Amino acid sequence: MGYVRRRVRASADAWAHLAGGSGTALLAWGALLRVLVVAVAGLVGLGPRAVPGAVRAARAVADRERARLSRLGAPLPEVGPSPADPRTALRDPVVRREFGWVALHAVFGLGTGLLGLALPLHAVQDLTFPLWFRLLRPEDGAPGIVWWRIDGLPDALLVGLAGVAWLVAAVAFGPALARAQARPGRRLLAPPPGVDLSLRVAELTATRAAALDAHAVELRRIERSLHDGTQNRLVAVNVLLGAARRAVRRDPARADEILERAQQAAEQALGELRTVVRGILPPVLDDRGLAGALAGLAGGCAVPCRLTVDVPVRCAVAVEATAYFVVAEALTNVVRHSSAGAVDVTVRRERDRLLVTVSDDGHGDADEARGSGLTGVRRRVEAYDGRMTLTSPPGGPTRMHVELPCGS
Amino acid sequence: MRIVIAEDDALLREGLALLLRAEELDVVATAGDPDGFLTAVDAHAPDVAIVDVRMPPTHTDEGIVAAVEARRRRPGLAVLVLSAYVEQAFATELFSVGATGLGYLLKERVGRVEEFLGALHRVAAGGSVIDPEVVGQLLARNRRADDGLARLSPREQEVLALMAEGLGNTAIAERLFVTEGAVHKHIRSIFAKLELPPDDRADRRVTAVLRYLNDGRHAA
Repeated sequence: MGYVRRRVRASADAWAHLAGGSGTALLAWGALLRVLVVAVAGLVGLGPRAVPGAVRAARAVADRERARLSRLGAPLPEVGPSPADPRTALRDPVVRREFGWVALHAVFGLGTGLLGLALPLHAVQDLTFPLWFRLLRPEDGAPGIVWWRIDGLPDALLVGLAGVAWLVAAVAFGPALARAQARPGRRLLAPPPGVDLSLRVAELTATRAAALDAHAVELRRIERSLHDGTQNRLVAVNVLLGAARRAVRRDPARADEILERAQQAAEQALGELRTVVRGILPPVLDDRGLAGALAGLAGGCAVPCRLTVDVPVRCAVAVEATAYFVVAEALTNVVRHSSAGAVDVTVRRERDRLLVTVSDDGHGDADEARGSGLTGVRRRVEAYDGRMTLTSPPGGPTRMHVELPCGS
Repeated sequence: MRIVIAEDDALLREGLALLLRAEELDVVATAGDPDGFLTAVDAHAPDVAIVDVRMPPTHTDEGIVAAVEARRRRPGLAVLVLSAYVEQAFATELFSVGATGLGYLLKERVGRVEEFLGALHRVAAGGSVIDPEVVGQLLARNRRADDGLARLSPREQEVLALMAEGLGNTAIAERLFVTEGAVHKHIRSIFAKLELPPDDRADRRVTAVLRYLNDGRHAA
């Protein structure tokens, strides 16, 4: 019993595979026609301009087949982008193999697919024939066999018996046909020997370079903020302390005034140091992710804050840290300067960009030049090749929009 | 003494001005960027300029470039450059135009007001001042080099370092706890080893310092 069940299940799977394969085979026909047209155009000297289109068409169908085969069995790795230059593309082994596969699959794949699907259909048709043969005239013959005159139930039952034969054939040959149909794809759509590794190396090299770049940018940013902020504050503290020591003997009241300034500078240094440290990598990002971290910011904001976060996929850590920093700075500004009654924060990911918008209903007139955190925001956003726009007419409202590339 | 201050950090700029004015020095103008500084130099005919190395727009060596330009516009202007960290390339760039009336100090030296004022006065009087930290780095780099500097004894190197800071014989003697006569002897020996002829009309102390800096440049 178990054997039969296994056979039936294998056959059903095979028929599903054959149906899917026939689908990609039909698409392969489209791509094949396009490739043929381009080939003919090339032969009569119409230039290689149409080549990239044909390459893309074949690649699209091939990728679909790769994905289908990967779902059904051993995964077929994705291949990188095909070369843009027509000549290079036509020499590319991956492209050549895809062209070959398109032709093979269009003809052979569709053939095996239709044959494989025809077997069970015939089986069903013939098996059920005794139930509906009376609807036909006797001279119409059996399904598919017009010269077999059906004169009564015995004949119809005989046809039903043929249906059993069909069914046996379908169960016996279905899985083999499905395998045969998939074989060209498994052979030709796998990366050619040697190519797989080099692609992988190129990809890894690129991502590694990008990571190092981002790392350098981050270090430079931290160096800058430590140097231009904290260190200068401490130098000022030092200068003022020196001045105060000199003043102590001559004019103690004056000395106290200078010490007061020195203390303010020290406090500023501490504040800036806090900002720098928080900006490096807010621990809350690690703990709760961007949405959670932003929710914490919004919840702690003195002005009522409405937060919308639509970021289904996590971005690079540095990008998330920057987005967090942008929102934190913007909210600080809203609380300190805008006298707003409400603030809206929207963060969403649109393809490879992270969009951050902070808008309030305050009195506007925010000015980057007046030493708010806005300069810091702009500097940091631009360090990541991002863009920041600020609109803040006198009377309000203020709207800050930041776009950060977040790759993928 | 008429002083112009160029420093982009407002708090530090005001702190400096406050410090100098408390010492009854005449701060005639302050500026936050190179252009403002050059305008102030043109307008106020200062004797001394105190210039921060990192200034807008790129926060790299704008201060040095501006100082060199100010010296070109106003020969004889003494310049004391303040830097947040030791960058020997900046020092060599600065001293490439000569060493009289030039100084290069770390910002934190300003807190030691007496020494800072001493340096300011030495520069204003046409002397040269180089931060001990710069000198220390140069010495460390040159220790193995096979040249005049390498032939100096440790004591002579110390003396040369203090000369580079712009100290006179008396001050050097005080720092090293030796007699002035001993300092004089060391200095003669230094000049001999660096092959600076006694009849050279240039200020030999400055030449020695420049030799120092140039060696630093080759070693770097």
